[in-house]
Amino acid sequence: MATKTATNATPTECPRCGHDRLDQIYTSPVAGVWEIYHCQQCLYSWRTTEPARRTQRDAYPDSFKMTVDDIRNAIELPVPPLRQS
Amino acid sequence: MAYDDLRSFLDALDKEGQLLRITEEVMPEPDVAAAANAVSRLGEAAPALYFDNVAGFNNARIAMNVHGSWANHALALGLPTTTGTKEQVAEFINRWAKFPVKPEWRDNPLWAQNSVEGDDINLFDILPLVRLNDGDGGFYIDKAGIVSKDPDDPENSGKQNFGIYRIEVKGPRKLAILPVPVHDIALHLRKAEERGEDLPIAITLGNDPVLSIVAATPMEYDQNEYELAGALRGAPAPIAKAPLTGLPVPWGSEIVIEGVIEGRKREVEGPFGEFTGHYSGGRNLPVIRIDKISYRTDPIFEHLYLGVPWTEIDYLVAANTCVPLYEQLKKDFPEVQAVNAMYTHGLAIIVSTKNRYGGFAKAVGMRVLTTPHGLGYAAIVIVVDENVDPFNLPQVMWALSTKMNPSDDLIVVPHLSLVELAPQSDNPGTGAKLIIDATTPARPDNRGNYGNQVHDLPEMGEWLTKLQQLAKH
Repeated sequence: MATKTATNATPTECPRCGHDRLDQIYTSPVAGVWEIYHCQQCLYSWRTTEPARRTQRDAYPDSFKMTVDDIRNAIELPVPPLRQS
Repeated sequence: MAYDDLRSFLDALDKEGQLLRITEEVMPEPDVAAAANAVSRLGEAAPALYFDNVAGFNNARIAMNVHGSWANHALALGLPTTTGTKEQVAEFINRWAKFPVKPEWRDNPLWAQNSVEGDDINLFDILPLVRLNDGDGGFYIDKAGIVSKDPDDPENSGKQNFGIYRIEVKGPRKLAILPVPVHDIALHLRKAEERGEDLPIAITLGNDPVLSIVAATPMEYDQNEYELAGALRGAPAPIAKAPLTGLPVPWGSEIVIEGVIEGRKREVEGPFGEFTGHYSGGRNLPVIRIDKISYRTDPIFEHLYLGVPWTEIDYLVAANTCVPLYEQLKKDFPEVQAVNAMYTHGLAIIVSTKNRYGGFAKAVGMRVLTTPHGLGYAAIVIVVDENVDPFNLPQVMWALSTKMNPSDDLIVVPHLSLVELAPQSDNPGTGAKLIIDATTPARPDNRGNYGNQVHDLPEMGEWLTKLQQLAKH
């Protein structure tokens, strides 16, 4: 079916938030096919063989991009108060 | 007819021509999700998909769309693949009458073949994870039955929960979870956090198909999902004790992930393309720490694509959303005839009822809003006459076209609770709800000019049978 659409060059920025601190969290069991990266800032994860619209900052859709403010102001599932025992 | 594990059901699908094996090499993305997106376009008899040649993996096995058609749903219930939608809902109601059927504790669970613990855990070693939709924030697990107990009443098996919730994979042994407030796991987590504790959980993947159906059924808080599975299967659901948490998990799961939702901790999650056909997320949600994984040798990863309706999720939350609502309404209002809550997990619900007296249909509509599921869903409730089939949308449109007067028959109730995922809500968590009374006014409500309604001719049924027989030849 689809062929590999991204190079396996080591990414230097997160496609979603542009942050440069990335963790390589997994490599393909068959050596050299793909790696999985994880952004330390927005926690986005991607595989290097995914289409450019998911892996390249300049091709990543604006509507899915995330900023530091988006992360800082993200709505939180409320933490309830501790019970008074 | 009962299947004790996913593999025996995949065999049954295969025998019925309902399993399509994709043998050519595919890329993890976008192929697996794109194929699952496409298969739902094949219609109400679409097959399940099975991938075992995924680039970069040595041994990946991925099953998609296992419940993703009425034909597959019928097989899961042990019915012929040609069984109609309405008949499947009727059979679901018949079997519900046998609830509860106690589960059966069984030794030597299938998932006990292999295990890994603590820092040796890397979920990516076990699951061939794939992204589903473009804007998803990562790799998701979205068809696992998650087991948890009520921290205030852990011995009460009725209050335990077995439900499907979306889970994002954030690292080798770290996950995120969305506990929607109206769902049972959110009540468990809330209690644990009030107590200052973590919530132990077991995430079970690749199950008997009926278990996935009950895990997606909006049962009442103190009703046990395994006991409904027994009624639907026609045989007790086999369960076993998870080795680390002691939680009751399916005996036949492919994979059992144990750990805790870490109390009082939040971290950014998502977005994720949801059952509403819209993305939700980018919120701070609870975090799961994995402590142990048990799994069958060469496990099959059962996964679910969801997107623009209808996809597999819509079949998985169709009949099982109608039936508990029907049971709950019928208990209070025996006049209720049928409930169709198949649209977007019951964000829209159609109820047919006899009209006891003027205003009665509106009361039925309001009761829908106060059912356990209605608290979070039921954004639109349409009430139709007893002789209108809520599963027949042309008939429903006829009722809307002729029975409903906008000046009196639309009731908007503002600021009710509504799942955060509903994109039309005022604020995440609340929204207005609409009741449409599309029944013929009953005395003393004398509005309209209804006179006599046309009915099918008494001889029509006989002729229908005759014409059907003639058409066969």
